[in-house]
Amino acid sequence: MTLLKEYIVPRLIQWAIVIFIGVSLTFLIPRMSPINPIDQAMGRLTAFQTLSPEATLALRQSLMDLYGLEGNLLTQYLNFWGRVLRGDLGPSFSAFPTTVADMIGSGIWWTIGLLGLSTIIAWTLGLVLGGLAGYFPDRWWSKAVENTLVSIYPIPYYIVAFILLMLFTYYLPIFPLVGGSRGTASFSWSYIGSLVYYGFLPALSLVIGATAFRFIMSKALASTERSSDYVRFAEIAALPKRRIVFRYVIRNTMLPQVTDLALSLAAIFEGALITEVVFGYPGLGYLLLNAINASDYNMIMGITLLSIVGIATASLLVDLCYPLIDPRVRYR
Amino acid sequence: MAQPPILEARDLKAYYITEAFGVRRTVKAVDGVSLSIQPGEIYGIAGESGCGKSTLLKMLLGEFEPPLTPVEGTVAYDFGEGPSDALGMDEAEVASIRWSRVSYVPQGSMHVLNPVRRIGDTFHDFISTHRPMPRRQTNEMVKAYLAEFGLREGVLQSFPHQLSGGMRQRVTIALATILSPKLIFADEPTTALDVVVQRSVIQLLKRIQRDHGSTLVLITHDMGVQANLADRIAVLYAGKLVEEADTRTIFKAPRHPYTQHLIGSLPTLEDKVARQSLPGRPPALDDPPTGCRFHPRCPYAMDICKSVEPPLVTLEDGHRAACHLITDEADHAAHSRPALA
Ligand SMILES: Nc1ncnc2c1ncn2[C@@H]1O[C@H](COP(=O)(O)OP(=O)(O)OP(=O)(O)O)[C@@H](O)[C@H]1O
Ligand code: SF4
Ligand SMILES: [Mg+2]
Repeated sequence: MTLLKEYIVPRLIQWAIVIFIGVSLTFLIPRMSPINPIDQAMGRLTAFQTLSPEATLALRQSLMDLYGLEGNLLTQYLNFWGRVLRGDLGPSFSAFPTTVADMIGSGIWWTIGLLGLSTIIAWTLGLVLGGLAGYFPDRWWSKAVENTLVSIYPIPYYIVAFILLMLFTYYLPIFPLVGGSRGTASFSWSYIGSLVYYGFLPALSLVIGATAFRFIMSKALASTERSSDYVRFAEIAALPKRRIVFRYVIRNTMLPQVTDLALSLAAIFEGALITEVVFGYPGLGYLLLNAINASDYNMIMGITLLSIVGIATASLLVDLCYPLIDPRVRYR
Repeated sequence: MAQPPILEARDLKAYYITEAFGVRRTVKAVDGVSLSIQPGEIYGIAGESGCGKSTLLKMLLGEFEPPLTPVEGTVAYDFGEGPSDALGMDEAEVASIRWSRVSYVPQGSMHVLNPVRRIGDTFHDFISTHRPMPRRQTNEMVKAYLAEFGLREGVLQSFPHQLSGGMRQRVTIALATILSPKLIFADEPTTALDVVVQRSVIQLLKRIQRDHGSTLVLITHDMGVQANLADRIAVLYAGKLVEEADTRTIFKAPRHPYTQHLIGSLPTLEDKVARQSLPGRPPALDDPPTGCRFHPRCPYAMDICKSVEPPLVTLEDGHRAACHLITDEADHAAHSRPALA
C-alpha cells in the first residue's frame, strides 16, 4: 500500500505533468515563429499538386487547429488539445490525403520492433559481458572482449552502418539492401523469417555500438562491486564463482543500468533516423526524414507529440518495473 | 600439551606492499607474530585501531590478496589429521575447508549481506556450496538454527535492509556458524552495536563455542568484551605481539606497559577519577619506531628501548611478554640461579 502511495502514484502524476508540459510547449513554439506556417505550407502544397476545394478546406482547418492563430490563445489551445486527444493530426502534406495518424501507425511498429529488440539485446549482452569482464579482469577472454568492444566504441555509428551495408549487401550479398519484410503481413513462418532477415543488418549495426557502450559502463560498475563487502564475503565462503558473478555482482550492477535502459528505450520514439535511412527501413525515422524534407508540418508535429508521450511512458514503465528488481524500493 | 594446536602461526610477517609512481611503500602490518591456539578455546586478540588485528586475522584465515603479501613464516591448521598449510591452499582446498571447518565473521559484518537477495536465499547459497542439499532442507535447517538466535522465521523472507543492525549481525554470525565449523574467526563482532545487543551477541558467541566445541578467535579492541569472552588474550601493538596470557593474568598481572595502559582504559564502577591517558597515537606502520615500537609513548622507556628490540620471553604458565623491563629481570634470574644452586 505504501508502495502504491509513495512510489506509483507520484510517478503517474509526474508522467501526466511531463506530457502536459511537452504538449503545451509543442503548441507554443510554432506560435513564436515570425512566419505563418499555414500560409507557407498551403503555398507549398498547392504548388505541387492540385487539390479539390474540400480537401484544401480540410487541410486548412487542421492546420488552423494545430498551428492556427484563429480565436484567442485559449480557444486555440483547447482546439489543439482536442485534436491531440482524438489522435487526429489531420492529413499528411506529402502523402495527402493519408492521415498522419495512419502513417505513424504503420511506421511505429517497424521502429518499435527494430529498436526495441536491438536495445534489449544490446543491454543484456553488454550487462552480462561487462559483468563477467569486470569480475574476471585477468582472463584472456575478458581481455579479448574488452579490447574488441573498446576499439569499436569510438567508431561513429554511420561508419559502422555503412561498413555492414557494403560488406553484407554488396561484397557478400547475403542480406537485402532495403525494406522491412517480404510478402504480406501474416503469422506465417515465412513472413516472420523475412522480418528477421530484413531486420538483421540494421539491428546488428545498432547492437554493436550499444553493446560496447553498455559493456564499458557495466564493467566499471562490476569492478567496483567486486570489492564490495558482500562479494568479498561470498568469495571467502568459497561460493561458486558463477553464482557470485550472476547473483551477487551483475544482480547489483543491474540496478543503475535499468534506469539507463529507460532512456535508451525512450529514444525509440524518435526513430533511429540514420539506421532507417541507411538500411531503407520503413519506420518512424524514415518518415521523419521525409517529413522534414517535404516540410510536412503535420507529420513533424505528429512524431514530436508521439516522442513526448513515448519517452514519458517508457520512463514510467521502467520506473514501475524498478521495484521488481530492487527490493529496497519494494519493501520500505 | 594434551592436544596439538588447532592453529599455529610461526614468525608470521605480512606486509602491504604498494608501488605508486615508482615509490615503493611497505606497511609492516604483521611483523613476526608467533602464536598457537588450542582446540576449543576462545582466543582474544586485542590492540588499538590500526595495530594489525584484521590483517593478522586475514592471514590466519589464509585469505589475502595484493597488496597484502605474506613475507615470511607459516600458518598451519590441524583438525586432528595432522597439520595443513593455511597460506598455500589452492581454490579447491579453500572450498573444502571453508565454512565446514573454518569460518569467518568479518569486521563490519552488518554490511556483508547481499542487499538484493533474501536472507533465506543467501543461507541457501552458503550452505549448499558446502553441503549440497535441496532448498526445502536448508530452509528447515536455517529455521531451527535462527530460532536459537532469537530470530523469527520471517527473517528468511526478508531483505537485509529490512532488518536492524543487531539482527543483521546475528544473521551473519548464524550464516558463519550454521555448519558447526571447528574454527571460527570473528573480527569486531560487537563493535557498533548498542550495549544490550552487544551483550546478546556475546552470549550467542559463547553458546556457539560451547555447543559445537568450536575454537573461537575473537578480535576486539574492547577490553570489556575480551574480559567477558576470552580464555586467553594476545595484545598486539604496531604489528607485533607484545603480550599473551590467560585472561585472568592479563587483567590481574599484566607485565607489558602497553597492556597495563589498555586495561587501565577499561572503565569500572568504582572508578570515578579521571584516568591518565597515554599521550600519542599508535605509529604508522610504514616507518615504525626503532627498538621497542612502543618507546615513544612508554612512560618507562629506557635508553636501550630506543635501539634494541625486546624479545618475546616466556614467563611462568606460558605467559609471554616483550619488554626490556622483563628481559632484564629474566636475565637477572638466569644469572642469579647458578649462584643459588
Ligand atoms: N589495503 C591496504 N593497503 C595499505 N595499508 C593497509 C591496507 N589495509 C590496512 N593497511 C594498514 O595496515 C595496518 C593494519 O591495519 P588493520 O586493518 O589490520 O588494523 P586493525 O587493527 O584491524 O584496525 P581496526 O581496529 O581499525 O580494524 C594499518 O596501519 C593500515 O593503515
Ligand atoms: S621495552 Fe621499553 S619502551 Fe618498550 S614497553 Fe618495555 S619499557 Fe616501554
Ligand atoms: Mg580491523
